[in-house]
Parts: sequence; C-alpha cells; structure tokens
Amino acid sequence: MIQAMTTSPLLGIVLCIATFLLGRWVQIKTRSPLANPLLISTALCIAVLCLFQIPYEDFSKGGDIINMMLGPVTAVLALGIYNQYAVLKQYFLPVLLGCTAGSLTSIFSVLGLCHLFGVDDAVTAAMMPKSCTTPIAVSIAESHGGLAAIAAACVMIAGLTGSLCAPLFARWFRIQDPVAQGLATGACSHALGTIKAREMGELQGAMSSIAIGVCGLISVVITIFL
Amino acid sequence: MKIIEQICVVFAICLAAEGISAILPFPFPASVLSMVLLFVLLATKVLHPDHIREKSEFLLDNMALFFVPACVSILKYKDALMQNLLPILLICIFTTPLVFLVTGHVVQLTMRLLQKKGGPRE
Repeated sequence: MIQAMTTSPLLGIVLCIATFLLGRWVQIKTRSPLANPLLISTALCIAVLCLFQIPYEDFSKGGDIINMMLGPVTAVLALGIYNQYAVLKQYFLPVLLGCTAGSLTSIFSVLGLCHLFGVDDAVTAAMMPKSCTTPIAVSIAESHGGLAAIAAACVMIAGLTGSLCAPLFARWFRIQDPVAQGLATGACSHALGTIKAREMGELQGAMSSIAIGVCGLISVVITIFL
Repeated sequence: MKIIEQICVVFAICLAAEGISAILPFPFPASVLSMVLLFVLLATKVLHPDHIREKSEFLLDNMALFFVPACVSILKYKDALMQNLLPILLICIFTTPLVFLVTGHVVQLTMRLLQKKGGPRE
C-alpha cells in the first residue's frame, strides 16, 4: 500500500502543495520575512523524503508536473508590467538606464567574485542571474549549464537580503527618490524585495514590480553574449 | 472569461514561445519569450487583461509553490552546494547592496538630468 502511494505522481503534488500551505500559514502567523513559504516548504519536503526514505525519483514524478508550470508563471509576469504601463511610460528612461546598470552590476560582480573565490563553472552559471526573479533566473542558469536548484537558492538569498534591508540600504546609500528606491529594490531583490517596496510606498511598489520584468529581460539579453 | 479558456490562452502562448525559442539563432529562454509575447499582445490590445486575469492572479499569488520541486532537487546536488556554500552565501549577500547602490544612483542621476531638461512628463 505504501509503495502504491509513494510511486504515484500525486505524492509529489500533495507534498508540495501541503507544505507550501503550511509555510504560508507560518508566514501569516509570524509576519517575518525569514518565514519564507518557499524555504519552509522545501525544507519540509526534504525532511519528509529523508524521514520516510522516499526516493527522489518518486517525488519528482509529481514535482515535474508542478515544475512544468514555471513557464506559464513567467508568462503572466507580463500582466504585472502591463498593470503599471502608465507609470512605465512616464519614467521610461530612468527605468531603462537604472535596470540596465543594475543588471550589468549584478552579473559582472558575481562573475568577478566567483572567479576570485575559484567557484566552478556550473555553480557560477547558477549564481549569475541571482538578482532576477526565480523563473527567469532558472531559465538563464539552465541555458548556461547551471543547476536550477542552486539558482533558486541564490535568488532566495538575494531576495531575503533585500527584503530585510531595502530601507536600510536606501538610508546608507542616500537614495531618497521614491522612483529610485523602488527600482533599486526590484533590481536587487525581485519579488521578495517588492513586498518590502510596497510597504515603503505605492510608487516604490509599482517601480519595484516593473524592475522585476525589465531587469529579467535585460539580464537575458546580457547573458546571450556571455 | 472562464478559467479553462484562460488556461488555454496562457498555455498556447507558452507553447508558441517554445517553438519560436527553438528557431532563434541564440539561446533565449522560452519562458521569458512568452512573457514578452504576452506583454506585446496586451499592449497592442489583441488580448484584454480580462482574458487572463483569474488564471494570472492564481499563478502570481501562488508563485512560490511552483519553485518547490526545483528547490527540492537540491537533494541531488547537495555535494556541489556544500563545497561552495561559503562563497555562494558571501557573494549573494555582498552583491545585493551593490546592485541597490548602482541602480539607485543611476536612476536618481537620470531623474535629475531629466528635470533640468524641462521637468518630467507629469
């Protein structure tokens, strides 16, 4: 009976959704950015797999089905940008220049530091898009021979850093302009940063969500040439 | 529009993007191409946000869920991760404020220059 259950693709699906819901419940209860549903869900899934000695291959039968949805998830980011179309047109030049500068900084600082620390190529390729939103980062990493899992982990570290520290960064670096604050938060910390940017103000939130899509797109273009 | 129709629209756009991505002479991720495609369709009013609203909101609200399998796959690569754990952590944490600094100042500078040139279009 147990084997019939573990070899069903439903196992992976149920495990992912159930642990994700639990993670979100913890996030709502604690209201801490560290209580990240993705982090909690991943840890619980790994714990369940190890505890019940379920092979990874059995989990991935269902996991692959959920994973297939990453394409559509990326596609609908377009709606987020479209909703901010008026603001995007108004601040087109600052958005374009800011996001280009931010994406270049992110990619080349990572490449330089990885070289310095002697990190191997597969991990470097996974870290390169760490300031992009997860679906775009995973696509970039995979097309350069990087591991999706490490890319997702790096995106989360960058996102949590920005989500926790964005207001602090703004004060340290004297970024007072709300448009600049929003774009900078979105450029370094994608969707997790946008949550914080919305707390800083409506314009900051809008600019941050624009930066997610624009920086993602610019990063893809930059990495084509690498 | 009914959810089932919205799912069909979004999936069809993604499928078209996969096809286009395969014939492009450079590596451009299909998922990002589908984002561009959807944005163009919305901007040119071929699609109305109502055509994809509920489906999009469902995906965006639960976005993190769809990354769980990719993150769990770290089980397969834990050796590669453990070997590079410290550099990965340091690099990700250090470069984040750097990106904030550069982006923020470039935007502030651009805004100031635009204002000097006769004010932003407000």
